[in-house]
Amino acid sequence: MLQQVVWSAELDVERIVDTYGNMLFRICLVILCNEKDAEDVVQDTFITYLTKSPTFNDSEHEKAWLITIATNRCKNMRRYNIIRKHIDINDLQLYSKNDKNHGLLDHLMRLPTKPKVVLLLHYVEGYKVDEIAKILTITTSAVKKRLQRGRELLRERYRKENEYGL
Amino acid sequence: MDFEKIKDAVTSIEMSKAMEDRVKENIGKKKSVQVNYKRWISVACAFGILLSITIGMPYINNNGEFQVANFAITAYALSDDGKQIDTTITSEKATIELSTEDRLGVVSMSGDGANLIFTDVRFNIIGEQIDLITYTISEGKFIEDVTFSLKEYKDSEWVRSEKINFISNEPGSAVYKGIKEIGNSYTVNYNEQDQHKYTLAIPHDGNYVIVEDIIINVNVKYIDGHSEQQNIVVTQESNSISLKLN
Repeated sequence: MLQQVVWSAELDVERIVDTYGNMLFRICLVILCNEKDAEDVVQDTFITYLTKSPTFNDSEHEKAWLITIATNRCKNMRRYNIIRKHIDINDLQLYSKNDKNHGLLDHLMRLPTKPKVVLLLHYVEGYKVDEIAKILTITTSAVKKRLQRGRELLRERYRKENEYGL
Repeated sequence: MDFEKIKDAVTSIEMSKAMEDRVKENIGKKKSVQVNYKRWISVACAFGILLSITIGMPYINNNGEFQVANFAITAYALSDDGKQIDTTITSEKATIELSTEDRLGVVSMSGDGANLIFTDVRFNIIGEQIDLITYTISEGKFIEDVTFSLKEYKDSEWVRSEKINFISNEPGSAVYKGIKEIGNSYTVNYNEQDQHKYTLAIPHDGNYVIVEDIIINVNVKYIDGHSEQQNIVVTQESNSISLKLN
């Protein structure tokens, strides 16, 4: 019986890390801009999942729950990290093999956390405005504003880059 | 600018195999530790319990002298079924199976980063003509579970000033939970003990082992101005902690 429980827990670890590990790591790395912090948050999120053993309606519910826990932890970590660390653009090749993406990733990582999280959930994870509002426990108008703000900031940074040839 | 490219850029990020293996190994370990950790939740038994509240508790002081303090200390904890159990602490050992909660990943604002076992053990003093009670713990902290609103959560200055170290929020809930750091000492009015639900957070060595005995000094000041004190020694035995008067 005990063996069965242990075996089941091991299977659960494999499944959640295989299914959601990369997705959570991407989100956390872009928010925190630090590999070790991102790894810690991913790990803590999974531990919370395994210890709380929440019940989910479906896999989308499970995914949204994990994103909520991870983004909350990222926000806490950002709040307490007085010196904000940032990945050097040259280090991005460690995580993203395609060089063409590095410029955009760098711009994205440098955005303020709030619009950055909303952009990630909308453009990367494909969530609609009302779904993001539920995940982040904010209003839909706040989500819209953050999306708009994120887009504007990204556009502005691209414009400056092209203008000054940076 | 084509914002759809964000998806391509971000999804090109992948965990390294080494990191993935590390995460699996670490959460597997934590999970197995957590099994023991959770077992501590069941606060089922306490031996050495004195069911009656005794006023005039005899004890041996640090100098080996026999003394009688005019107050009794009761330790409280919650059992699995939510019922409160209590045990009067005497010079005989009172063992309480720890009631711990999942508090992994605590962010400490004070920066000491101590690993803490969070218990729901708290104290109550019974006596007569008592004005103030001061508790001081040699290692660890007194903490309080607090809940607060989204508006308060967003006020980072408030969060810092309140020393709320760890914040969590269940998806879809507007209520935020946190751990408020009370510190290693606090004073409470005798008549207001029920309003201060401060519990013990005990440091461990990283493997949920309490390395050194912890002393909690209880100083009682009476209305006439004189004081008495007793020390509680906190030790660990397997999955339980023991409390006894020193």
